[in-house]
Amino acid sequence: MISGSRRSVRHALWALMFATSALFAAEPTAWGIDQLMQELAQVKTAKGRFVERKTMAMLNAPLESSGTLVYTAPGRLEKYTRLPKPETLVLDKDKLSIEYKDRGQRRTLALQDYPVIWAFVESIRSTLAGDLATLNRFYRASLAGSEEQWRLSLQPVDAKTQTVVKEIHIGGNRSHVRTIEIIETEGDRSLMTITEDTQ
Amino acid sequence: MTRAVTIAAPRRALAAWVVAVLACTVIIARTEFTADMSAFLPKTPTPVQQILVQQLRDGVVSRLILIAIEGAAPDELAQTSKRFAAALRQQPDAFAAVNNGEEVTLNKDRELLFRNRYLLSPAVTTGRFSGAALRIALEEDLQLLGSPAGALLGKILPRDPTGEMLQLIAQFEGVARPEVRDGVWFARDGSRALLVVQTRAAGYDIDAQERALTFIRTAFAHVNETAASSGPALLFSGPGVFAVQSRARIKADALRFSLIATALVAALLSALYRSPRVLLLGLLPVASGALAGIAAVSLGFGSVHGITLGFGVTLIGEAVDYAIYLFTQITPDATPADSLARIWPTLRLGLLTSLCGFGAMLLSGFPGLAQLGLFSIAGLIAAVLVTRFVLPALLPPGFTVRAATGLAPRMTAIADSARVLRYPVILATLAALFFLGSQRGALWSDDLASLTPIAASERALDEQLRRDIGAPDVRHLVVVNAASADAALASSEKIAARLQTSVEQGSLEGFESAAVYLPAAATQRARQAAIPDPAVLRDSLREAQRGLPFRAGLFEPFLSDIEAARTQAPLTRASLDGTALALKVDSLLVKRNGTEAAAGAWTAMLPLRGVMDATVIARDVQSAPDSEGVLVDLKHESDALYQTYRHEVITYSLLGAVAILLLLLISLRSVRRVLVVMTPLAAAVIITFCLLVLGGNPLSIFHLVGLLLVVAVGSNYALFFERQAANDAERERTLVSLVFANLTTLIGFGLLAFSKVPLLHALGSTVGIGAVLSLAFSAVLIAQPRALTVQPA
Repeated sequence: MISGSRRSVRHALWALMFATSALFAAEPTAWGIDQLMQELAQVKTAKGRFVERKTMAMLNAPLESSGTLVYTAPGRLEKYTRLPKPETLVLDKDKLSIEYKDRGQRRTLALQDYPVIWAFVESIRSTLAGDLATLNRFYRASLAGSEEQWRLSLQPVDAKTQTVVKEIHIGGNRSHVRTIEIIETEGDRSLMTITEDTQ
Repeated sequence: MTRAVTIAAPRRALAAWVVAVLACTVIIARTEFTADMSAFLPKTPTPVQQILVQQLRDGVVSRLILIAIEGAAPDELAQTSKRFAAALRQQPDAFAAVNNGEEVTLNKDRELLFRNRYLLSPAVTTGRFSGAALRIALEEDLQLLGSPAGALLGKILPRDPTGEMLQLIAQFEGVARPEVRDGVWFARDGSRALLVVQTRAAGYDIDAQERALTFIRTAFAHVNETAASSGPALLFSGPGVFAVQSRARIKADALRFSLIATALVAALLSALYRSPRVLLLGLLPVASGALAGIAAVSLGFGSVHGITLGFGVTLIGEAVDYAIYLFTQITPDATPADSLARIWPTLRLGLLTSLCGFGAMLLSGFPGLAQLGLFSIAGLIAAVLVTRFVLPALLPPGFTVRAATGLAPRMTAIADSARVLRYPVILATLAALFFLGSQRGALWSDDLASLTPIAASERALDEQLRRDIGAPDVRHLVVVNAASADAALASSEKIAARLQTSVEQGSLEGFESAAVYLPAAATQRARQAAIPDPAVLRDSLREAQRGLPFRAGLFEPFLSDIEAARTQAPLTRASLDGTALALKVDSLLVKRNGTEAAAGAWTAMLPLRGVMDATVIARDVQSAPDSEGVLVDLKHESDALYQTYRHEVITYSLLGAVAILLLLLISLRSVRRVLVVMTPLAAAVIITFCLLVLGGNPLSIFHLVGLLLVVAVGSNYALFFERQAANDAERERTLVSLVFANLTTLIGFGLLAFSKVPLLHALGSTVGIGAVLSLAFSAVLIAQPRALTVQPA
């Protein structure tokens, strides 16, 4: 019964989508999320410096950190934090490894064991990769602004992620990601600003 | 006077028979019938093997049922898995645990770990909560807060600033787990949703296992009703499943083959005897033998294995032979008693050689095989006694087998012309010998699995599901014995410390231990002792927090949690109830059965992953202080087990063959005659062996036992052939009786060749082929001079 009614809803949605796409097919394609994703998918590597500022209820002063970000298509993201303490974070396929050089510690997490962290990192990686399918698995995405200055808003789909993350805003121009703002459910927020290296 | 005695003797025999039948019936009515798989494991294994066998019988391992749902899109499989698991959880009397990867069980585990983190974390040692140590911990927390993992830490940080929970979780990482999709376990390729179910009943309790499987089937059918018409399919496996399936299969085989064999033998005998009364009389020794066989096994072993009943089919073919010899040999002009007197020595010798063969089975260190041996010995003796003492009195006066006179001349003609084949048979035998000699060692299966009554397809499914679920192929494990559970845990901890250095040095990938989930009481107390007094800790924390941006009062929950931990009662096995951790502990820490149980002997097992160098680890384990851990290589153990086994069976088979030879020497009193009898048997054994090898299957020790039975059974034919007949008519009758006896034996064993139970299949095919060849080769190779004496008028 449950899957039956769900199926009919899905059918109805398909029919609707088909109808609307047929309706707009004649129009010249307007700039939208598909175009943005396609453009982002063209980027094979990107490198930039970041400054991140986190405001948390537990702390009476914001946390600031900075370093470099390296992205390699399709699924590898490296984050090298220099300040205040060195930390290396490597996201590759379904593994996330964190290394603290000064302490000689290294941990590797299987993302599937940590769905919330997975959702977190995927918001950035899937956006950089222009992978709308994966993004849609974790978030409801909506796009505002123009090609020159866009803002992608992501709202988590999964109930468990919703208890931690309220919303993620990713801003950029053309195929460059400039800002990542994460607003947590309990009010903590962080803003990462990325300035691209000239290559 | 003499006349009175001769009349009274059969009456007494009849009365004794009735009493014996009644006694057997009473015994059988009280008999327990089993299908216990451990009957196919050795009787006297080493202590380590005993533990493994016990685990297979009633350990947690024996209670696990692996379930897969396949044949639909992943999202549908996931939905089905969730509804199915929910339905199974409605049956707490049948299932102790139902795990499909859903958070339901995971949350319980995490909650328990979190609540007891200060007693479980190996990092809790003296100094862990000093001001300096806390300062380092807080600085690390601050750093972690800045990383993506910070979102998770945030929630528990005020309660766990020293990261004990992370310590605990880190210990479990690296353990293979199935993939999670849509919140449930999946095979890596996404084709199957997976579940692991633990039954309350032990694996050997087949009735309870069968009920559990019925629950599983109906629950699945019910869940599937609501899904699409071509819903997903259900697969399951596990020790209990094997036991249920084997029992069902053995039951079906035993019943079906018994009915077919009885029908075929009855048809054959009615063609021979042409008298319903004599037909029934002919089946009397069979029925008596079967009763005696089952009763003997019941008395000797306490229970009767299903396979023994299946093997009973052969008794139909074997035990009927004695009546055939008797009935066919009765001439119209002689009394049954006279005919019996004539053939009795040969009959007796044939019986004794058969007993030598089955005696070898009885002595093998293999309860399953020993049952078959005892069953056949008791059955054959009973059948011969009934033939000898009961049947003659019941035969109608003037009885003779007419078919014998009709068939005899033709058979004699065939037998006489068979001599032409003498040289081809000798050549074929030599060729077979050469062929066998040229085979390079691959004649015998080296795999212990060849002994199990589990079909190869079921084993393949089991292996597949185990791989899917990520259950590691445990090959190496450290076994520790101790007087109490706590002592076993304490020893495990000492060994774990050694193993941990091996992990750090890279010679070992990882290991599991029950003590991770349930530390020894002393260890828990030591951890409690490492927690400072509340006032001291509060001061240290205030000191550590100085200059860091943590909000004031943030760590109050930590202070109250840790004080609760400092004063709480230590964790016991009961504390883990209802979690998957309990399952883990029960499978890794077991109480041993048997005589030592009174002394409360416990065994802890530490399965190892990724062993690079077993000798190094074995040395490390042995050097651990005050503990008696032993590194066990299961592959090695099971190979050794099989070798011992095969060695034993070969020894007993050879002894059986030697016993048969001695018996023949004593009875025949001539080396030449023994050679004459043994030559066709040897040829039959060699060619049967060769045919089995050509059949392509690796031979198990059951085939070897089968070859011995070929000698034991085939000797009957050779002996009758070799016997000097008084006249041509007697010789012709002998020939007819041999052909029919052979046919019934072929029916009995030949049918077993169609059994899906490996043991029955192996014995059936070997003895079936061998028996026919024995008769044929006896006709070909034993030169039988025509009787010289003049027929009496």
